[in-house]
Amino acid sequence: MIRIGREGGRKSVFAGYHPLLNFMFFGYAVSVPIFFLHPLLLIISLASALAYSIYLGGRKAALFGLGFVLPVMLLAAAFNPLFFHRGETIIYYFYYNPITLESIIYGLCNATMIGSVILWFTCYNAIMTSDKFIYLFGRLVPAMSLIIAMALRLIPRYQAQVQRIVAARRGIGFDVSTGGYLTRVRNGGEVLSVMVTWALENGIETGDSMLARGYGLPGRTAYSNYRFDSRDRLLLASFLGLMTTDLFCLVTGTLSVQYYSRFMWENIQPFASIALVCHAAVSFLPLALELREDALWRSLRSRI
Amino acid sequence: MPGPEKRRLSNRTKVAAVLVILCIPLVIAINILFFEDRSYYITSFVIIALSMVPFALVFEGRKPQARELVVIAVLVALTVAGRTAFFMVPQFKPVVAMVIIAGASLGAESGFVVGALSAFVSNFIFGQGPWTPWQMFAFGIIGFIAGLLFYQLAASIGAPSRDGSMRPENASYLKWYDINRLGSNVRARRRVERLRILVLCVFSGTATFVLYGFLLDTAAVLMFTSGEFSWTGLVATYVSGIPMNAVHASATVCFLLLLAKPMIEKLERVKKKYGLLGAQA
Amino acid sequence: MALIEVSNLSFTYPERERAALVDVSLAINSGDFVVLCGKSGCGKSTLLRHFKTVLTPFGRLTGAVYFDGRLLGDVSQREQTSRIGFVLQSPENQIVTDKVWHELAFGLESLGEKAPVIRRHVAEMASFFGIQSWYEKTIYELSGGQKQLLALAAVLTMQPDVLILDEPTAQLDPIAAEDFIVTLKKINDEIGTTIIMSEHRLEGALPRADTVLVMEAGRIISHGSPSVVARDLQKQKDQMLSAMPAPMRVYLALEKSGDRETNGHVPQTVREGRVFLEKRYGVMVRETSRTQQLEEREIVEKTGSRFWTRFLTGELAKDRNSSTPLLAMKDVWFRYDREGIDIIKDLALQVFPGEFVCVVGGNGTGKSTMLGVVSGENKHYRGQVSCLGLDPRKAIGNELSDAGLAALPQDPQTLFTRATVFDNLIDVAKAYAKRRGEKRTPEQIEAEVLATCEMTETLDLIGFHPYDVSGGEQQRTGMAMALLTRPQLLLLDEPTKGMDGFFKAKFAAIIKRLCTAGMGVLMVSHDVEFCAKFADRCALFFNGNIVSEGLPRTFFSGNSFYTTAANRMARFLFAEAITAEEVVELLEGME
Repeated sequence: MIRIGREGGRKSVFAGYHPLLNFMFFGYAVSVPIFFLHPLLLIISLASALAYSIYLGGRKAALFGLGFVLPVMLLAAAFNPLFFHRGETIIYYFYYNPITLESIIYGLCNATMIGSVILWFTCYNAIMTSDKFIYLFGRLVPAMSLIIAMALRLIPRYQAQVQRIVAARRGIGFDVSTGGYLTRVRNGGEVLSVMVTWALENGIETGDSMLARGYGLPGRTAYSNYRFDSRDRLLLASFLGLMTTDLFCLVTGTLSVQYYSRFMWENIQPFASIALVCHAAVSFLPLALELREDALWRSLRSRI
Repeated sequence: MPGPEKRRLSNRTKVAAVLVILCIPLVIAINILFFEDRSYYITSFVIIALSMVPFALVFEGRKPQARELVVIAVLVALTVAGRTAFFMVPQFKPVVAMVIIAGASLGAESGFVVGALSAFVSNFIFGQGPWTPWQMFAFGIIGFIAGLLFYQLAASIGAPSRDGSMRPENASYLKWYDINRLGSNVRARRRVERLRILVLCVFSGTATFVLYGFLLDTAAVLMFTSGEFSWTGLVATYVSGIPMNAVHASATVCFLLLLAKPMIEKLERVKKKYGLLGAQA
Repeated sequence: MALIEVSNLSFTYPERERAALVDVSLAINSGDFVVLCGKSGCGKSTLLRHFKTVLTPFGRLTGAVYFDGRLLGDVSQREQTSRIGFVLQSPENQIVTDKVWHELAFGLESLGEKAPVIRRHVAEMASFFGIQSWYEKTIYELSGGQKQLLALAAVLTMQPDVLILDEPTAQLDPIAAEDFIVTLKKINDEIGTTIIMSEHRLEGALPRADTVLVMEAGRIISHGSPSVVARDLQKQKDQMLSAMPAPMRVYLALEKSGDRETNGHVPQTVREGRVFLEKRYGVMVRETSRTQQLEEREIVEKTGSRFWTRFLTGELAKDRNSSTPLLAMKDVWFRYDREGIDIIKDLALQVFPGEFVCVVGGNGTGKSTMLGVVSGENKHYRGQVSCLGLDPRKAIGNELSDAGLAALPQDPQTLFTRATVFDNLIDVAKAYAKRRGEKRTPEQIEAEVLATCEMTETLDLIGFHPYDVSGGEQQRTGMAMALLTRPQLLLLDEPTKGMDGFFKAKFAAIIKRLCTAGMGVLMVSHDVEFCAKFADRCALFFNGNIVSEGLPRTFFSGNSFYTTAANRMARFLFAEAITAEEVVELLEGME
């Protein structure tokens, strides 16, 4: 059975913060490298995303990084110089198409961006459980959020029910794994058919249960267990401070880079280094929170 | 009360259809053709995400009743469970087939919601990523179009009553060619059956191949080349994507052949039992 | 003033001729604990649904329902939502969201309460029900009993004045059902919530009720305190009397005018029944000859069955030595995976042709797993199983069913593929005819199906959608499907769950008919009363093993806790009497 809401192997501190902060962080972490394709920024992003995903997912995450993210990055890095021929430093002709140094550099940067986005999303999947999403969007799209919650309740139930149907039909001599190809397909179809009827018909009582508890009355609210406490306020303040500084420095353009027609970047100005420092600070902040908590628990345990 | 209410809803649906079917591709085209900005990926990502807003607003604004939510949630859950059941076979998924069936029997808006939410919810299992909005949009729009084509056509073919309002009991594509009207003419029946299946299969195959396949391939290209746009790159990706998209399209056709008739019959029955008939157009 | 008042309510569903409710009038006072009983399909649910506007079915209606002095229709939806709580039958279906906490908050969200208010009410309810420990869990992790408790708590967070429950324990096992009713009583006592519940398992509910309503064919035929209703039913000689708890039935059968033992109160619990028996018959000595007499009576009673004739003439014992059992399990061990714990331990069990064997035992003892071992679903790792001459471990695909094994699942809904009962049956018959290579005309197949329908008493259902018939009828439809495979050995998993007494009797009659024809039936069940009454042989399953087995009489009289209510009540007089009728007969014989 597939589990819903991939909560990572480790209990995360950052996941314990308010969903708004979780969402804010990932929104920032994913979009900044997409918007500002600067090599240094990208390296910071990739490093922090990799570190955090490995922290959250352990060996599995490392394997995912090697087995999936790395090939995708290589592909992306190769894609660019093969299809784009701008840039003035030609190093090779591939089937009469010039391969330029600039497009290779650009491809590498783009690959780094893709890698960090994918890795950030693995962290997002571990931290932003369905609950949090439903909480954040429950007010905005209440009906759809409720559908999501209902579907998430039904899916494991359906997965179990399919097993039951298969067993039940086997019990009266309709095994799904025997017979010719067509028989098996037909039997599989019958299982689906039973499943669909069962799901739809039993839903009627669910609808009644919603009606009985007043669904449809005007002015429905969305409740959640999440509270915005002082710890959240502190993190929000640090996020806001660092992110606005970072964005301000980035937008004012001190950290600019030119890829074509010749790759050039300006010397890093003091203002630009502030941007980089801030970006690194934000990107590594969740990981730092986790590590601090680990240290705290180690010290608590050693005192016992 | 139900009369004007229904008309307003269908107007909303029309607005949504216009917005999506005309405006969004237009914006994409303008961006691709006229702006030499390097943020194609971001622009397209934003457009895709925003394009779902009118659907969401229409759906939310309608304040769907409890039973309608249940039917949609059940269909979403079935679709996602179907996707997980076939997780080991790449691209061989019943998702599009289910979404088309949902659109055809519940209407365009619900078709979109089932499609988009199926993609979203299943990514809670398979992992959310930059592809999520694209998948949501692709599945959603397929459900939407299926609803427009089959639900509307069904309603217009089903004889309208004298006061001009649609007769809800005619509002299903199954009643398109009401088999009972053909009486005992067996050959006519068979012809109709065959035609019906052919139409559905052609639509579902094309929708999967073109809409889903090309949309997601475009997303991949835009992501891979975030700074620039290259026709050759796009074409290369489309070409390399053909086998996968072909598998997906044929899977959709297969599942539809297997599921369409029984599923729509079951949905019709439940719609009747729930009193959902004519809830929307 | 009455909280709920119904005056001359009649109701007919659309496209039905017979009225579902006929001229119902009643009044329910604030704080009452009301139990509504009656056969399946007598209109209990229909009546309850008229107490809440959103759940009221469409149809033709006359008469009126008043809530708190006002016409129910004039009470706003908002007020109805919060003041009238409604709990439905299925614990699975009525849960809407994926998290326990969200489910608890659902009603208050609908009412538009602010987060702090919701938090407080939810916290209160969670504490009251002991839900704290699973407050953050997903629904999927809960047991059936927990789910039903959650459904109840989710309604109570709105602090309703009246709580209406439609057969809330039908899907629960006996222990969870008893816990649930105890909780209801606690709510009634400690919060003062009015409770109206429909129920067919009256042993638990009736002793707690202030008022009992009995319905039949849409009418209320009796109304009052349990004692009053019981006497009333006896006077009317109504069938519902047989659904009353055993102590009541024993007392009423023995009641004499001017009884002093109970001051006119009809004993409802085993304790009360026992006190009554002790007061009246306590001095009499238990006589063994009585038991002897009982055995003989039973012989006369059961000679209708070929099995019993053969058993009594000793033919069966001879058969057993010479003939092979349908199912023979010896030293069987099973666990789900290598590192797991053993679910089945050193199990031995045999089922012979014509025998109805019941395996009783608590939840999670491995009863259903055992059925899985028989059907090859679960592969044992040690010991021998011979099912119709085959080893289920090695049977591939449909070999076992072709050899004559059929298993009826706990939930017959898992079998229905078609839109009518008839089509479902035809499908099975056709498939089997084809598989056996029989050339048969559609008429022949139809005839076989109809014959099976007659046997399982499903003839009048064949035109219906299988989901439009009651749970007991679905069970019988499933049974008919299983029978069309022409089995020799039938496995039943908890078939009496959610069935009322009349359906059970019908069901038992069908099984008896099959046994007479030589079929072996193996049933696992929680339902002690059913097994005591109808089984040929009973076995107690505990911790993966059968700890005792025997004929129902010796089996249940040997148990002191796991036995019927009648036996518990009268065992100090006659250890061997296991049904209320037997107790009555023996006591009448003594006087």
